[in-house]
Amino acid sequence: MSTALATPPPASRSRWRRLRSRLGLGLLAGGGGALIVGYLSLIVLIPIAALVSHGLSISVVTHGAGLAFWRWHVSIGVRTFWEAITAPGAKEAIFLSLWLSLSVAAINAVMGVAIAWVLVRDKFFGKGLLEASIDLPFALPTIVAGVVLLAIYGVDSPIHVDLFETWMGLMMALLFVTLPFSVRAVQPVLASLDLESEAAARTLGAGSVRTFFTVVLPSIWPAVLGGFGLAFARAVGEFGSISLIAGGLGRTTTASYYVYNLTQGFLWTDAAAVSTLLLVLSLVILVTTNVIAHRYQRRTL
Amino acid sequence: MSISLNNLSKRYGSTHAVENVSAEITHGSLTAILGPSGSGKSTLLKLISGLEAPDEGRVIIDGDDVTDVDPRHRDIGFCFQSYAPFRHMNVAKNVGFGLKVRKRPAAEIDARVKELLALVKLDDKASRYPSQLSGGERQRMALARALAIEPRVLLLDEPFGALDAVVRQELRQWVKVLHEQIHVTTVLVTHDQQEAMEVADQLIVMSAGRVVQSGNPLALYESPATDFVHEFLGPSTVFGGVVTRPHDLELVSVYDGAMKGRITSIVSLGFEAQVTVELSDGTTTWVQLSRNELSKMGLRVALLVGVRRRTDADF
Repeated sequence: MSTALATPPPASRSRWRRLRSRLGLGLLAGGGGALIVGYLSLIVLIPIAALVSHGLSISVVTHGAGLAFWRWHVSIGVRTFWEAITAPGAKEAIFLSLWLSLSVAAINAVMGVAIAWVLVRDKFFGKGLLEASIDLPFALPTIVAGVVLLAIYGVDSPIHVDLFETWMGLMMALLFVTLPFSVRAVQPVLASLDLESEAAARTLGAGSVRTFFTVVLPSIWPAVLGGFGLAFARAVGEFGSISLIAGGLGRTTTASYYVYNLTQGFLWTDAAAVSTLLLVLSLVILVTTNVIAHRYQRRTL
Repeated sequence: MSISLNNLSKRYGSTHAVENVSAEITHGSLTAILGPSGSGKSTLLKLISGLEAPDEGRVIIDGDDVTDVDPRHRDIGFCFQSYAPFRHMNVAKNVGFGLKVRKRPAAEIDARVKELLALVKLDDKASRYPSQLSGGERQRMALARALAIEPRVLLLDEPFGALDAVVRQELRQWVKVLHEQIHVTTVLVTHDQQEAMEVADQLIVMSAGRVVQSGNPLALYESPATDFVHEFLGPSTVFGGVVTRPHDLELVSVYDGAMKGRITSIVSLGFEAQVTVELSDGTTTWVQLSRNELSKMGLRVALLVGVRRRTDADF
């Protein structure tokens, strides 16, 4: 997220780097380094390592007595892993999560730019309210989002749109919970744009659509990609809002819901295996979008 | 192409940025709109470009009333103070942007871009990005980009404002030479009187949203219409109750002067020296001397001298 969103000023990069290191608090030099590593290990690294090792059924076996490491034998249960993620139901769930998340991230990338644009460039009545409501999905427990969506698009829909146990219902929920990522990633970058570049394009004969696609969009592109990555990762992992709408049918069982079902049957290893796959997928998308955005930025800033 | 501005007014809320401004800018001239910050000079430039619409008055370019024409269709080249580069395009793409918008064939665009980059001496930087250019190079790229569309009028907003002194001086000379080569009607906005005097062949002096005086630079310098123009266009001081140029005064022996006085300070600035004199009528004035005059006369602080207008001064 940081590489996509933190935009260094258009000074030379080396100067920016020097300034940054001078402004740094020297936190890593002091005991702070140990603190940060310890904290990250406790809340992020160790649980993830445990998950991955469990998912891949990694075990360490020692032969005979003694702790000499050459007697150790590390076994990785690649086969168990493979069986867990290709099991009937698992493949479908993972596939459903993937295409839902990709399309949700894509739709919200577009809508996020549109909403951010309106928030940054326009003045209208109720703007403050809209601004505040963007963050609502952050503040709301996602299960509540599920309840709210079912109240409107459920079986007893007051507007007669029943999305219960449909992929459209799932998509609706995912669009709702990922919207803030898409909007907030783009908004500050859009606000800091140099309006004179757009005016220059206009004096050179470009219309507003052309100006948007040739001048504005390339400038906010890294931020849009960053928002896409975050929204995707969030959508892949989303459970709360989906759990109600999915209803327990096979065709609306997403990967996260599938993992939940596995844990209900105490199939911990299988659950860890599917979870590991989800983790890797999210990581791949996040890293890829960040790398693309970073490369792009290095050239133009 | 000539520009006429007829009774232009522009208000922002209750402030009159531009108030009832009329001016004629002749074909092929290099005109400087000069004024202190907040005098409305940049607003006037935006009114000519169409980036701002006037509340009242008309803008006429080459006989066409363009007041209601979108800036897209005015055929103007506008250089912004920030140069407004397209950061994600290289220099060649930046320069060719206007031609691409106009759907010219690629070969023609390439040829024209090459020609312009040679003109602004950036031929070796065609594939660089704006971030890899110096301030002066960015300014030249912005100029080439504006010139690419063969504008009827070239408008420059504080073109040298963000550059350091040496580059600034170079670029001024260069713009003057460029203008002599291509002869497009050019209007530039500046707050720097020296810059305006050096580059422009016509001046429009603005203050508080109004045009105070316009004409050729030397005429304005020699016969300013108001004290404001007098003070703004060059060094000035008051002598005998009249605003005058300090180099139009001279120091003589205490018996020859029109007025007696005592030297209170001498500031040497290389070639010139500024001598401040407290006059017998209680007022203070200063006289601009060359270094030679200063040393020849053996002036020092507290010396009693006579001050008078140079006999060869003023017409």
